[in-house]
Amino acid sequence: MDMVLATDRLGKRYGSTWALRDCSLQLPAGRIAALVGPNGAGKSTLLHLAVGLLKPDEGSVGVFGRSPYGDTEGLADIGFVAQDTPLYRDFTAAELVVAGGKLNKRWDAALARQRLAQLGIPPDKPVGKLSGGQRAQVALALALAKQPRLLLLDEPVASLDPLARREFLQSLMGSVAESGTTVLLSSHLLADLERVCDYLIVLNSARVQLTGAVDDLVSEHRQLVGPRHDGGVIGGVAAVVRASHTDRQSTLLVRTDGPVTDPAWTVRDVSLEDVVLAYLADGTTQTSHSEWGVAA
Amino acid sequence: MIWLTWRQHRKQAFYTLLGLAALAALLVPIGITMRHTFADLGLVDCAKQLARADVAEATRETCDAGFQRFGDRYDSLNLVAVLLIALPVLVGVFWGAPLVSREVEQGTHRFVWTQGVGRNRWALVKFGLIGAGVLALAAVYGLGVSWWVDPLNAAAHEGRFGMIVFDLQGIAPIGYTLFAVALGIFAGTVWKRMLPAMGITLAGYIGVRTAVELLARPHYQPARTQTFSIEGDGPPVVSRGDWILAQGIRNPDGTMMAEGARIQCPVGGKGPGGRACGAELGLEPGAYNWQLYQPGDRFWLFQGIETGIFVALALLLLYLAVRRVRRIA
Repeated sequence: MDMVLATDRLGKRYGSTWALRDCSLQLPAGRIAALVGPNGAGKSTLLHLAVGLLKPDEGSVGVFGRSPYGDTEGLADIGFVAQDTPLYRDFTAAELVVAGGKLNKRWDAALARQRLAQLGIPPDKPVGKLSGGQRAQVALALALAKQPRLLLLDEPVASLDPLARREFLQSLMGSVAESGTTVLLSSHLLADLERVCDYLIVLNSARVQLTGAVDDLVSEHRQLVGPRHDGGVIGGVAAVVRASHTDRQSTLLVRTDGPVTDPAWTVRDVSLEDVVLAYLADGTTQTSHSEWGVAA
Repeated sequence: MIWLTWRQHRKQAFYTLLGLAALAALLVPIGITMRHTFADLGLVDCAKQLARADVAEATRETCDAGFQRFGDRYDSLNLVAVLLIALPVLVGVFWGAPLVSREVEQGTHRFVWTQGVGRNRWALVKFGLIGAGVLALAAVYGLGVSWWVDPLNAAAHEGRFGMIVFDLQGIAPIGYTLFAVALGIFAGTVWKRMLPAMGITLAGYIGVRTAVELLARPHYQPARTQTFSIEGDGPPVVSRGDWILAQGIRNPDGTMMAEGARIQCPVGGKGPGGRACGAELGLEPGAYNWQLYQPGDRFWLFQGIETGIFVALALLLLYLAVRRVRRIA
């Protein structure tokens, strides 16, 4: 399969802290991928590495088979909207469209104007005076005018109200559906992206916890409820992701590699959110306990 | 890129030019009045006469008196000159320091550096255009101030070579301004916030300028020494247009007897109590006035060296800034 973004044991360090470590993942072409993880998990770092703003300290990252850091030509294929959608606040939307044309060889100004007109964004008002939702739309229109093959969006909806969130994601989906653009968008809330994405990457504590197509992830995970479990092998279960116990009963979230036939267990389907939360809860809280000098 | 640079900085350029125009509107009339006074006192001719070695004593006296009157009236303008010296660093603080740091502070570097042109090209075009604009500005400033302080130069003993006026005219302001802007840009790539970058620029500029002015400039060329007899008729010989680094009175064996001083007694004259000239200072017969100086005709050589140092520093800082830009995310 065609891989748009591929990383191999990718790592980035700030001082002595690893913001991202041992990150190996592959994003197939044509996917709408959600990059989910709590704040500080390394999402922005991964996106910055992919767009060439950062240089890897370890491992490698490839976008369309090229290393993005310092690769100016490769930038033409990547659309990037940074966190908080930074734009020159004293520029009007119309001026930003002109600026984009001066900064890019491939630039569809008509497309950008068309989009902005449809969204009812005033062309002659400084973008600093627009609402957060409108500004995000301007940033998206500018990124799409590059006609990128890969679109990277860093927390595009974090600062928007629920209505603006939905509108933003709708207009995003509408425009990438036809072009077949691969999209990778990050959020610390899965709920924001659950409806639009068909591929998922979960980051936590600088490491990749889970990656795969949404359908596969949902179909291969199950919740099992049964008698208190002591760690023995259950037929059809590849791994226990998360377990919670009461005195007599255990609830397990498991990855399966076949049907679970043991009648002792009640098998339930899980939602994507259940899966993600199970993997996130697996994160490391040990270090901060020792750093605070208290018992875990 | 050129369009973007212009669009981003046109307002600032407008206000800079407005400020310069206001300054010119204030200083040009003063300069014209000053030149009129200078001419009315006959000092234009004097300046030429005094430059010659064999100037008649009577001419020298009238001319000195004329310069004295001119000085009484316009000496306070030297304070204005001190203010003018701050202009290059202002350009560095307001044009140089925000160039990168403001982009990073507002996050717009992530927008502009991920467009098709890439950040190397961004840095080169931006630094180049701002540098060229600043160069033009500094040239106008240097020429304008050269014209303006010309009469003050002529009235001052050290002429245009003096400590502060040297920094104001000729080509040196070009070097200073380019350096200030480059320092600002570099500081912005290191501290990445506008206010700290501006503060560092100010402090760094003052530090480097002071160091060069006090430690390096007197040694661009080996200084010369000159001696004058402590006995002589008429007003004492004063060198004009030279930059005096040190002076004093020395005994024949070379020991410094009175630093920073000069004396002159009439030939064969006796001091109070019938003592020899300067005996109360411990001077022995054959003592002489001594000065260490840089001759006035080295002005352009020194201007060239000073400008060269600061242009070289500016280029180095810009190179480092371009390298640092590659590492900002």
